[in-house]
Parts: sequence; C-alpha cells; structure tokens
Amino acid sequence: MKLNHCFSRACFALLAVLAAWNANAAEEAFQQGSPDLKSAGSLAFAPEGVLLVGDSRSAAVFAIQTNDNQGEAKKADYNIEGVNEKIAELLGASPQSILINDLAVNPQSGNIYLSVSRGRGPDAAPVILRVAPSGEISEFSLKNATYAKAALPNAPDAEARDRRNEPLRLQAITDIEYVDGRVYVAGLSNEEFASKLRSIPYPFGQVDDGASVEIFHGAHGKFETQSPVRTFTHYDIEGQTHLLAAYTCTPLVKFPVSQIKPGDKIQGVTVAELGNRNRPLDMFVYEQNGKDYILMANSSRGVMKIPTEGIDKIEAITKPVADKAGLSYSTIDELQGITQLDRLNGERAVVLVQTEDGKQNLKTIALP
Amino acid sequence: MLLILMAYGCSFRAEAQETSEKPRIELKQSSQGASSFVVVGLNKATLAVLERQGPAGTLDDTFAVYAGAGDIAGRNPMLGETRVEGGVLVFTPRFPLEAGLPYQAILRLEGKLANSSDSQTISKIFTLKRGTTSAARVQHIFPTTDTVPENLLKFYLHFSHPMSRGEAYRHVRLMETSGKSVDDPFLELGEELWDSSGTRFTLLFDPGRIKRGLKPREEIGPALEEGKSYTLIISAKWPDAQGQPLASDFRKTFQVISPDDDQPRTSNWRLSPPKVQTRDPLELRFPESLDHAMLQRVLRVVDSNGASVPGAVHVSQAETHWRFIPQQDWDAGEYVLRIDSALEDLAGNSIRRPFEVDMTRPVTQHEDVLYSEIRFQIASERDPP
Repeated sequence: MKLNHCFSRACFALLAVLAAWNANAAEEAFQQGSPDLKSAGSLAFAPEGVLLVGDSRSAAVFAIQTNDNQGEAKKADYNIEGVNEKIAELLGASPQSILINDLAVNPQSGNIYLSVSRGRGPDAAPVILRVAPSGEISEFSLKNATYAKAALPNAPDAEARDRRNEPLRLQAITDIEYVDGRVYVAGLSNEEFASKLRSIPYPFGQVDDGASVEIFHGAHGKFETQSPVRTFTHYDIEGQTHLLAAYTCTPLVKFPVSQIKPGDKIQGVTVAELGNRNRPLDMFVYEQNGKDYILMANSSRGVMKIPTEGIDKIEAITKPVADKAGLSYSTIDELQGITQLDRLNGERAVVLVQTEDGKQNLKTIALP
Repeated sequence: MLLILMAYGCSFRAEAQETSEKPRIELKQSSQGASSFVVVGLNKATLAVLERQGPAGTLDDTFAVYAGAGDIAGRNPMLGETRVEGGVLVFTPRFPLEAGLPYQAILRLEGKLANSSDSQTISKIFTLKRGTTSAARVQHIFPTTDTVPENLLKFYLHFSHPMSRGEAYRHVRLMETSGKSVDDPFLELGEELWDSSGTRFTLLFDPGRIKRGLKPREEIGPALEEGKSYTLIISAKWPDAQGQPLASDFRKTFQVISPDDDQPRTSNWRLSPPKVQTRDPLELRFPESLDHAMLQRVLRVVDSNGASVPGAVHVSQAETHWRFIPQQDWDAGEYVLRIDSALEDLAGNSIRRPFEVDMTRPVTQHEDVLYSEIRFQIASERDPP
C-alpha cells in the first residue's frame, strides 16, 4: 500500500514534470516578432486559435497565435459577393492581381482566414486576411506576432540557383493539417516526382525535426508508383487516427498515422477511385444523422458527398473495375464552382465559389 | 521599371477659397520607389487638430485612398497609415502602388477643419504609368528533343521574364497534329509549380493518365499515344508578372515513341576526363535524354579529399550531354562523380526506382542507394599514357 502510494506520488510528480516540460516546450517554440513569410498558401488551425500557414517559397510552416477567440462559430453566417474585388480594394490592387490561395475557419471564433497573394509575379506579397461574419475584411497583421516556424528539411546537395541566388527547386505545399499534436504537410516538388508527407511535432521544437515518409500507390496489386498527396483530412477508423488522402492521380486512400515513421514508405489502401476530370481540391469529414461523410470539392463537378460507412472494412481495390469502385459517392450538382471549403459548424460549411464572370463569392452553405 | 507619374483629373466639390492656402493632394515617391499621398497647404490650426486625432482617431475618415476609378460608395479604402508629419498630412499605402491602376485620394474636411460652414472635399486621381519593358517570351521548353516516350512526365517552360501565377493551365494546350485537342492532359494544381524567380514553370502530365490500371487512363486513355505527333501550344495571352501578354504564341511539335519503363543506368554513361592543368570540361554522355532541371544540380565532382570541385554545369544535345567546367585548373588525381540517384529520365524513372514497379515481375531496381558514384582519374603530364 505504502509502495503504491509512493509509486502514485512518483507518477504524479513525473506527470507534473512532463506537463511543465511540455508547457515550456510550447513557450520556447513560440517567439515574438514578425514571421518572415515569403508566400502564404495552405491554411489550417491548431488548438487555441493558432493559425498554421504553409509557405512554399520558404519551405516552412508557420504557426501564428491569432488571439481570436471571441464570437460564435455556431451562429456565423457569410455571404460576400465578389470577395476578391473587395480584397483588391483593400490591398490597393486590381482584382486580376489578387489570388486567394486558401481559406480556414477559426473554430474558436467562426471568423474566416484567407491566405492571399497581392500580386501575381514572384514578388507578390503574402497577406493573411480575417473575415468576420459582418462581412468586414481586415488584415491579420503579422507585426509583433507570437509565432513558431518549422522549416521543412531540404535536399542535402547544393541547389541550383537562379540569378537572384534563389533555389530553382521548390517544394509546393499542397495541404497541411493539425492532428493530435502533430502537423502533417503534403508537398510536391517542381522537379523530381517525389512524394513526401511530413509529420512535424507541434508545437514546433528542436527535439524532433519530424518524420518524412514516401507515399506510394498500388494499382490493382500489380503496379506500385510514388503518389504525391494533393489534399487530405483525418478520420478515426476503429479508434485509430487515419489520414484520408487524395492523390494527384485521383485515388482516395486511407492509412493510419501510426505508420508515419521517419524514412519509411507508406502504401495507402485505396478506398475510392474518383475517375477522370475529377481533381480533388479540398475536403473535410462531417457527421449528419449519426453517419459520417466526406465532403470534397473538385475541379470539374459539383461537390462530392462520400459516406464513410464501410471504410473500416473496405478491401483495397485490387482489380480494374468499372466506374464506381470502393466507396460510392453522390454529386451535389447545385454546388458548382467551389474551389475552397471548410467546415463552419455541425450544420454548415464556408465555401469559396468561382463564378464564370471572374467573381469569387464567399458564402455559407448547409452541409448536404 | 521606370514609373512615370501621371495625374489626370482633379475635382473640387466645395467652395475652397482660391488662396495660396488651398489644400492640394500630391503623390510623392521616395528614392526607393515607395509612394505616399500627401496633402499640402493645410493651415496650422487644421494640422494641429488632425494631429490630435492621431492614427487611431478619425484621420482615416479624413484622408483615404481608393483603388480604381468611379464611384467609391460602398467600397473599401485601401490599407495604409495616415498621419501628420513635417507639416503635411500623409497617407502611406500598406502595399506598393500598381502601375496602370487609378488611385483616388480623397480629403474630407468638415466643420471647423474646412474653415468654412460647408464641408470640403478634395479628390484627385493618380495613375502610375506602366513601364515600357519588352514583351516576355518562351525561351526554351525542355525536353528539347522532338521524340518523347508515351509516358513523358513533364515539360519545363522557361520564360524570358517573370510570369503571372494563377492561370497557367488556361494558357497551355496540347493538340494532335490532326488538329484534335487532347482533353485534360495535364495535372492542374492550385499551387502552380514555379521556381522562385517565376521564370520556370513545371508542367506535369496527369499521372492518372500515365499510370496503368487507373480510371482516368482506362476511361479516356493515355494523354500521349505512341506513333502520333502533337503540338504543345503556349498562348500569347498568358500574362507576365506585369500583366502584359507574351510577344507571341509558342509551339513545340514532337513525335511520341514507345513508353520508357527502364531506369537510367550509370553503367551505360560515357565519361571523358579532362586533361590536367586545363579547364577543359569533364564530359558525360547519356544514351537517353535526362531531366534538364535535375541535371543542373544532382551531379557533383568530388576530389580525393572529399571536397566538392566548384564549377559550372552545361547541358546540351537534347539533354544527353553534360559538361562540367571547373573554376580552377584540374589537378592530377582521383575524383568521384557523385550522382543523386533521384535523377530521372523523361518518364520519371529514376536511377533508384522505376516510375512504376511491376510487382508481378522480379525486382528491377539497379541501384537502390541514395547516391551512385563514377570514379575517374586525371593523369599528371608525367604519367605514362
């Protein structure tokens, strides 16, 4: 009994030390200053309103404290026509000079964050904007911010450089997401057809530079190829956290995050083949009437709604099959032109819609 | 770029007195090219009131700048900082001004500030004229060869000037020589694959159309078919970073031969060592075209001390010929050419791994290592031949 008591006390003390160490690690990882973003691409939120920004040009991911915890995501509603034009006004540019690269909803406040390029050339300024449900768009200032930076490891060899001494080779960050204490980063090189998925411990510290795995795709049990991940989300399958990833070559796959170990290669289990003219752009998982669905924006059809039922038992697609292999899906035809989406709350999503006249509309839709 | 300041249009709504004290708006440019809108001619009393308001006060309502011409009702003023400095009211934009875009600077003085019973509004439109740079053009497309394998993985498009992002895929087309357009041959990515300078664009074929056993290829076949000829067309409408179109369309016509499923083998390469005490090139010849971009960086010459030999790389002859010219004369001795085995051929087969591994056949990897090495010697002049 006494021994147990001592043991409990020792455990408690150890936990306390570990908790303090964790807190210190978080404090040490973050610093005050102006994060030196060279570009602002993929966005995601980590806990406590920390915005993650993928910066392909710096080959880095930034975590920036927004201190934005007022508001109610449950009540937020958006309908901003021509949001690209309003952003252009604010940034003192023509709408043609503005690129909206990604959007993410801060789950703490319901405010939307947009990553924007002000300018289309290599000297374009990266800008983060915050959109409130009132429709007010403001710059999320990076001056004197609390932030952390995780540099993605680069090739060991000297890089070929251009006239400005900048590397010709870049790793485009195609998607980032926070899952259970780690930030996952999918990327695609502008030279070799490499396909690295990186897993970085969060908050970014010096202890672990993160694991990098090569992603492969097995077609019909016969051919195996490297397969860059284009967009992904996470989902619990039988108590295990999985990444659901859409490859550049269209299959939708699942793999457990526990497989992501430094230097390993992963072959995802194909759960659906999405077919031609169907390039996934963005996706998330939501629950409706006790069932889970993947909502996926893609380049040429209406948004796809994919029930996850049976994803735990699905066999890898191992034979060439006609049209609908793996998980079935339905297409929501009325949701056309959606280029970005994020979940706002249990009932609604925020979408960015590209219209044929060049306008982009930011609005709320009911989850289908 | 030389920016020429143009001011066209100047409107006064209120009855400001025609005195030397009449406020007017000017656009100033620093020697670094930064622009600011300045109100000169405000009297001291007005400036004192404005200064007391401070940046957090209503200064932004007093002096604001709007991008674009026309009615400003319902529009957002552009971001920037308004302050009183050196006897003038200044608005410094958050971002540099865009050439060719009109900016309306509007000063609204009300009540006492207007020095009149009426409110006073002064506005002026400024436009920075676009510089006269030559039109951008396509300089090279790699691979330069005019016969490519059916499973060609990518093109590199090199431009003379930095280009505009965000609409690359709208301006590239692939046509069969019969005039039939190839549908969706390329992988379209939101994060377009540019280099840092914005002059090199990587255009990947849709891997779903290359890989065997996938729906896109099963549904509509490979993007390229053996035996056919194609033309890649780069539209002149593709804007450069300044928004100007290209000088002209660019076309590259090529013939498609059988797919290449073989990895590059360094044992098939032919190396010609240079002579000692010269800066003659170290030459390497490949039996097939290799990836132009990777050839610039993945081969390294290492001396017997393990140090990299500095020099310049030249790739030619349809990317089958690699030359390395050292900065210093070659010393006699043992050298190693170190090759990153990620180096790919035109179909994405690397030294380390084929693009597609046929799992039903024996393992085909030749060199499952991070680096391959080719050793060579530069003989001293005294060495016997």
